[in-house]
Amino acid sequence: MKDRWFLSLFMFLGSIIVLFLTIPLIKLFMSVGITTMGKTILDATVYNSIFLTLRVALYAVLFVCITGIPLAYLIVRSDFFGKSFIESLLDIPVMVPHTAAGIALLVAFSSGYVGDILNFFHLGFIDTTTGVMSAMMFLSAPFLINGAKEGFRKVDEKYEYVARTLGASKIDAFFTIVLPMAKSDIINGALMMWSRALGEFGAVVIIAYHPMVAPVLIYDRFNNFGLKFSAPVAADMIIISIFIFLTIRVANNRLR
Amino acid sequence: MLEIENLLLKKEDFTLGELSFEVKKNSYFVILGKTGSGKTMLLETIAGLKRNILGKVYLDGLDITTLQPEKRDFGFVYQDFMLFPNMSVEENIKYSSRYKKIKNQKELFLDLVDFLQIKGLLNRDITHLSGGEKQRVAIARAIYSKPKLLLLDEPLSAVDPTFKNSIMKLLKGIIKRYDMTIIHVTHNFKEASFLADKIAVMLDGKILQIGRANDVLNRPTSIEVAKFLGFKNIFKGSFFDFKDERRDRYFSVDPNRILFSYKKNDREFCYECRIDSILDITDHYKVFAKVKNREIFAKITKNMFDKLELKEGKDCLMCIDSKDVEII
Repeated sequence: MKDRWFLSLFMFLGSIIVLFLTIPLIKLFMSVGITTMGKTILDATVYNSIFLTLRVALYAVLFVCITGIPLAYLIVRSDFFGKSFIESLLDIPVMVPHTAAGIALLVAFSSGYVGDILNFFHLGFIDTTTGVMSAMMFLSAPFLINGAKEGFRKVDEKYEYVARTLGASKIDAFFTIVLPMAKSDIINGALMMWSRALGEFGAVVIIAYHPMVAPVLIYDRFNNFGLKFSAPVAADMIIISIFIFLTIRVANNRLR
Repeated sequence: MLEIENLLLKKEDFTLGELSFEVKKNSYFVILGKTGSGKTMLLETIAGLKRNILGKVYLDGLDITTLQPEKRDFGFVYQDFMLFPNMSVEENIKYSSRYKKIKNQKELFLDLVDFLQIKGLLNRDITHLSGGEKQRVAIARAIYSKPKLLLLDEPLSAVDPTFKNSIMKLLKGIIKRYDMTIIHVTHNFKEASFLADKIAVMLDGKILQIGRANDVLNRPTSIEVAKFLGFKNIFKGSFFDFKDERRDRYFSVDPNRILFSYKKNDREFCYECRIDSILDITDHYKVFAKVKNREIFAKITKNMFDKLELKEGKDCLMCIDSKDVEII
């Protein structure tokens, strides 16, 4: 009897948060309606903006895959001076207000040496996709790096040892054994980073109002034309994100 | 073949060494020690997987102390198998062929499949194999890389007892069949006595005794080794009233050879004792008695026990012969 009460209480409490998380989305889709959502997605400004958001967020994820995965491996497998400091540093972006992060990025990369280098390669920073990507990356990279750290921690170092006695170099062992074994956590981390990057607004709007990514477009339409014009864009953005997110997650779970 | 010279490795608060020993070609060398005595660390050091070591490691006279593990040609089998879960059984076995040129690969693979009886496992998922099956695959994977030296870390500890004997026989056959030398670490005396040509007893990071298997298991040279090997009733020579040089040496009395009686008999030594406690085990009794204020432990058959009518608190004589006393 006591067990049933306990489970019922937990189910009741759990359902409150489930409803809180789903009602706004359901209400949004219902108020907009499928026809309006369909019409909105055919608007060139909207689909260009959503596609740009997905693309730049993907670039940010790829950049962090190349730089953050090696860092995560080093943190897990090696002991080096300043390791704890670097680990704490990696979690800072999660804590800072997003507009403050945007200001910091603006100060650091819009001028000076980094600014010159970006300009030299015709990448620019303010009002460019490079700036948008930096803002997305700064605030969401910890999700991927922490996911990779978690994945590498689960791989017993003895697998690498055995691979090495079988003739593999350290880098061979990494690519043939460690990375495939940690891949599930890395993909989940990448997915978390990507979805977090898609929704980035505060830092992006400081650095680049244009080109207009979806969150900025939604804000812009809400500010200038009101809820009626911003809600369909928001609904389209959410439905596309959910679709991609679920597809990757299902594929990842099947790969396990 | 393999020579370890003054090997020393410190890791946190554990020190391995200094160790010096030699392993002859085509021999089965067993390192016997308690859990946490540094046996695995020693194997990993020999394999080149641990850095910052002091001392030297020689293979066939060549200094390999700083040689990378992949260049050493040593195979390694861990107690928890470490089969790569992202590969099939066959891919696991053939992993080394990605990096090494292996002569007569096909014949070797077929021979291993036959020798280790793993034909039925080749297409199975690693995660669905039993402990014994995983162990045979791990051994096949190590042998397939044609190592000069095979390092086995407690290879039988995670194997079902029913398969242990068959795997021990396989291990014993590897040396001749594949022209290899084996270093095997274990805490199990039975394994050591069945497999070893030579045994090194390792405790707290140090090798305390090294020699032929029979010598080490039956004639420990220190109290630590004797206690570890399960020798009971360890006493100083003075206990037996020795007046000569034996007075300061240590002796161990075999609990199975102790005779209780109520009058003097033909045994060389007889001491008055009082029975302290008696434990009834399925086929014998464990008897703890006080002799000269020291506790002595004896194993008595049920027949003998009934005949003597031993009881706790009863006074009697405890008798032994000098042949039942092992010098340590």
